[in-house]
Amino acid sequence: MSDTVDVLERARLDTGLTMTELWFRYFAVGGMSTALEIDAYLYGALVATPHNRDLLAVALNERFFELGLDHPVAYSNDREIDGD
Amino acid sequence: MPRVTTVHSSELAVEVCIDGGRLAVAVRGEIDMESAPLLRTVMRGLIDGGHKTAVLDFENVSFMDAAGIGVIVEAAGRLTAAGGSLAIRSAPPMTLLVLQITRVSELVQFENPDLAVAHAAVDQTVEDAAAMIGREPVAIVSDLVKVGSMVTATALVDRALQLVTVLAKAAIDGADGVSVSLERHERISTVAWSNDTVLQMDLHQYQTGEGPCVDAANTGRGFHIDSLADEDRWPAFVPRAMEEGIASILSTPLTTPARSVGALNIYSNSEGAFGEPQMTLAGLFAEQASGIITASLTDQDAGTRLAQALVDREVIAQAQGVLMGRNHVSAVDAAGQLFSAARAAELTVSQYAANVVASTEPEASGE
Repeated sequence: MSDTVDVLERARLDTGLTMTELWFRYFAVGGMSTALEIDAYLYGALVATPHNRDLLAVALNERFFELGLDHPVAYSNDREIDGD
Repeated sequence: MPRVTTVHSSELAVEVCIDGGRLAVAVRGEIDMESAPLLRTVMRGLIDGGHKTAVLDFENVSFMDAAGIGVIVEAAGRLTAAGGSLAIRSAPPMTLLVLQITRVSELVQFENPDLAVAHAAVDQTVEDAAAMIGREPVAIVSDLVKVGSMVTATALVDRALQLVTVLAKAAIDGADGVSVSLERHERISTVAWSNDTVLQMDLHQYQTGEGPCVDAANTGRGFHIDSLADEDRWPAFVPRAMEEGIASILSTPLTTPARSVGALNIYSNSEGAFGEPQMTLAGLFAEQASGIITASLTDQDAGTRLAQALVDREVIAQAQGVLMGRNHVSAVDAAGQLFSAARAAELTVSQYAANVVASTEPEASGE
């Protein structure tokens, strides 16, 4: 799971989003955790549920997409599907 | 027997005192984009009424920006043309500084009981202002708080941006006008400008929906037009710009960490006015303006953004419900399907969710 944490925090740094900004985006797509909990997910102090992790991935991916970078952060149901 | 009339708005009081042939206009408060029209109207009325000389008493002016300068330039120009003159009495150091940077000081006389002290103060402030270039935006804002009186966050930000335009115009060789366009509540407008021509320029761009400033604000990329005569992008905007006497433009995007929100626009009446040094400076000023905007957004737009976030959430929740019913899946799985489908469609989740919700409405065909 520390692998997941690294991916999210590294992605956040790549997008340049602040924690507050990420929380806003996470909240807008339906997230229910507080900004403090988001902080804890990214630093590995709390383990996010797959759904919460997906919400963070969506928030980050939408920012990446604005930057013209497609959707680099995988979603939890991606591994069921093979790349075509 | 002197005749005294006072007109005022919430920010500004203008007291007109006519004593025989002597006209004195005492201004109290802040002269900015909102309040300047009042002073302009008063001055126009007096000049139209035949006054040839006037004294503007600025002792109680706590803040003045480029809008106030516009009024002074117009009044001084008309009085001088009529064979008279405009004098300014007791201008505070910051006002003197702005007049000096913009060279308006050359158009007016100064009536100041303590001119030497004022000049020393201005020299000091000019030094401070020069030092601001390259300093943290927060420092500029805090300086402005010290100099002017603080009204609201928006007004403060606009002032800080106004100072950036004044300093940029003074510092960038060949700049005949500087403005800041900023998106607020999903509308782009000019929030700071150095003179009326650049304001006009920006308005043309918003009206035609095209131009380097609009594109810089929308795309986050900088635009440099070396010669408008040779420019074939923006066919609606370019001829209007040339009519205003503009020959080259440098538009630098203003960004927050999340996105681009505006542009710093520098206009010149000469072709090829902007080279490497000007671009570097423009980048520096744009960085400062971006910092000011970013600092302000955290508080100011939080309410608006929160409201939008709530709308987005609601649409996503509705779409989740639709998918749960359609595909007989759990809420979490429905969310997962939404996320993947939105990504495949290259839409944001809220856009995709809106489509899903719309597809269930009676008007929608295909079912």
